[in-house]
Amino acid sequence: MSLKKFSELFGDLDSINSTNNKIEVLKKYFLSNEPIDNSWAIYLLTGKSNKRFISGRYLKNLFSQIYEYPEWLIDTCYLKVGDSAEVITLLLKNKTTSRNKKLSNISLNELLSKTIPELSNLNEEEKNLQIKNIWERLPEDYHLIFNKILTGTFRVGVSIGLITKSISKLINIDEEIISHRLMGNFKPSIDSYEFLINKNINLQELNSKPFPFLLANTIEDKIFKHSINDFQFEWKYDGIRMQLIKRSGNVSLWTRGQELVNESFPELVEKMSHIKDDFVLDGELLVWDFKEQIALDFSLLQKRINRKSPNRAIQIKYPIIFIAYDLLEINGRDIREIKLENRRIELEKYFSKWQNKRENNISDIFKICDLIFPKDWLDALTYKEKSRENNTEGLIIKKKTSIYYSGRKKGIWWKYKVDPMQLDAVLIYARGGSGRRAGLYTDYSFALWKDQELIKFASAYSGLTNIEIKELDKWIRKNTIEKFGPVRSLKPEMVFEISFEKIQISKRHKSGIAVRFPRITKWRKDKKIYDADSLENAYKLMKKIS
Amino acid sequence: MRTKQEYLIRYKDGNLYCELADIWIDPTKPVKKALITHAHFDHFTFGCEEYISTKETAILLKGRVGGNIKIKTFEYGEEFKINGINISFHPSGHILGSSQIRFIFAEEKWLISGDFKLQKDETCKQFEIVKTDYLISECTFGLPIFKWDETNKIANDISKWITNSPEKTSLLFCYSLGKAQRLLNEISQTNFKGNIYSHESIHKMNNSYKKLGIDIKDTIKIENKKKIDELKGSLILLPPSLSKGSYLKNFKNIQTAFASGWMSIRALRKRSGYDKGFAISDHADWDGILEVVKNSEAKNVFFHHGDSEALSKYLVEKESINVLLFGK
Repeated sequence: MSLKKFSELFGDLDSINSTNNKIEVLKKYFLSNEPIDNSWAIYLLTGKSNKRFISGRYLKNLFSQIYEYPEWLIDTCYLKVGDSAEVITLLLKNKTTSRNKKLSNISLNELLSKTIPELSNLNEEEKNLQIKNIWERLPEDYHLIFNKILTGTFRVGVSIGLITKSISKLINIDEEIISHRLMGNFKPSIDSYEFLINKNINLQELNSKPFPFLLANTIEDKIFKHSINDFQFEWKYDGIRMQLIKRSGNVSLWTRGQELVNESFPELVEKMSHIKDDFVLDGELLVWDFKEQIALDFSLLQKRINRKSPNRAIQIKYPIIFIAYDLLEINGRDIREIKLENRRIELEKYFSKWQNKRENNISDIFKICDLIFPKDWLDALTYKEKSRENNTEGLIIKKKTSIYYSGRKKGIWWKYKVDPMQLDAVLIYARGGSGRRAGLYTDYSFALWKDQELIKFASAYSGLTNIEIKELDKWIRKNTIEKFGPVRSLKPEMVFEISFEKIQISKRHKSGIAVRFPRITKWRKDKKIYDADSLENAYKLMKKIS
Repeated sequence: MRTKQEYLIRYKDGNLYCELADIWIDPTKPVKKALITHAHFDHFTFGCEEYISTKETAILLKGRVGGNIKIKTFEYGEEFKINGINISFHPSGHILGSSQIRFIFAEEKWLISGDFKLQKDETCKQFEIVKTDYLISECTFGLPIFKWDETNKIANDISKWITNSPEKTSLLFCYSLGKAQRLLNEISQTNFKGNIYSHESIHKMNNSYKKLGIDIKDTIKIENKKKIDELKGSLILLPPSLSKGSYLKNFKNIQTAFASGWMSIRALRKRSGYDKGFAISDHADWDGILEVVKNSEAKNVFFHHGDSEALSKYLVEKESINVLLFGK
């Protein structure tokens, strides 16, 4: 029965906007299903099931072949729907003639641990036959889930935070603990689910995982009322936020997106593993100009992050550095609950100890962040304005007495970004360029969130390199939902950092705001659409300026 | 083969026009004589000297725009002559009074489908199969991804949607003429037995339906001053135009849904901004359009109102039916 329940859960989550209701629905689901199915549900809902067993194209071809359907017709439908799995689901309606729905009682576990993975062991002919069999035997209501898992496109509007909250409420344990347990490689099994809902907190098990990251909020005016001496000032680097962990001799490097990236940065792992102490450091990974002591552009870092086991030449061409902001744990002692200013003292103490070891020179790959000491808020503003000169994005302002909370805790860490103003927005429309750019989609429109809706807020056409334009053009053609003349509406998937000079109220625009000189300053491939900014953030930005 | 100018009915200024009779079909600008297929506003424009429609369409129209228009009415199947052309209305199953219009001239038959559906709908006459030589058909949902569920299944889904959230007020958005009455009729046959409220515009249309002898469940006209508690667990039917803006602030603890054929696509459902979408339409789905084309025995087909490219190509390739293009 559990696939039926999961299918209902998917439908509910897809159609409920209220967070509280989503949590209720999830709790109910977890309570009424087997641990193994719950564990698979979490795996699916947190987007960890992105393995593609077959491509969308393959699925479309297979359907066309089995049901003698013209491929062009499927492609036309795709333009309307924007998702191969869904197109085939819609087309399959009333098509499967078998009255014998043998698979109507299949469990989520059986589907995911057996039925689907076993397809990989079959040759093409057997595989096609098997998929057809499954379509015939699976009740129509389950086709969408099956097709989506098959093509690795199962997504639903549930954040990992929401899952965390639901489980936390289910068993009455702090969210931090649950979010800790959910970090890293969650493998679906009875054990992993039982571990997740275990009411006894086992420190040892937790040890292999990073701490939930503390995130900074956009600066608000009220901060200027406080004494400047209450805060610690750092440069806001534009790299990849990470935790560098060494416990029992093992180094692990975790991104904020909960990815273990040891393989991309082997030289850092190697160097840090020779340090005698155990530790958890919060910091930023950057590609660094060691001569000028300055961060290099984010795009160079992208050349490293996507490449596993980089050879020596790549390591030299794109030299990395880990800049530590904070020390969270030292030799097994969790110090997140002590004040930031004291953690800083510890950090400096250990850094000088590690640095002075002749047999392991870490200075070519590791440092702690320099602090800035503005005299007053006006001085802080001046520093912020200067941040462009050293390739940083502005300042991070941290309350000296703050402990290391998890998540976006309000009122303790602030980001004070340099102008131009920037927002992360989702690409929703593209229009063909003219002249030199003819034949390519080069004019883009971007949207911000308003509740669950994406509202267009700016159009921009400059800022991407020619290579990026070509890459994006390719993506646009594959991900068009609808065409209106020269304009295509796109599957919301790509996030871009948009910079602009001025922001003001505008009655002419649906968003209610207009921005001046909008331009693309970064293709945020590291961000999901749910990470993009909201219109509310834009309004806040406007308030702050005026 | 004849040129476009020689067809009995052709496109002129974006409208269907029969030159021999000097008559327009659902014109979007004022003309001398207009045939009206049904009473939806996108098929009607003010200022024509004379309108011709079914009796039901005339009454609905007058209910909407006032009695100040000159409408001549005919029964379904009743033939009348204009400039030697025989014209008649036939049920199209879209809404009450909606019709297909047939033209016969010199033994050549033309049929304008109007908006139509084949699905069961107790609030209007069932679609009638009419044979023709030339068919001008709508194709709003002319892609095979559109396949409607049985109406009672959707009605039961709606009923469940309301009763599963008894602490909420359920706002269902739908077109006030046709869709609302069809939904009311279907929902009254489900397990949902709570109060149903309707917006003034819908209420008015319900009354027009009742006057025309259609049994529509009584609903309460929604007043802004209604106490929030009274609305808990009940259903409120509203026109889609009220879904954006401040109107919703009149209610607390709501869930919203939209009843429309487009709601069968997830991306459109998500973008619509409603919590939930119910895929129910008063237009034909893909199979419905194909069935009508076949049953009409037309050798030549034109499409309008929708994306006809795929449908045309399919009919030419798979069914060897001659699909023609209007010169616009």
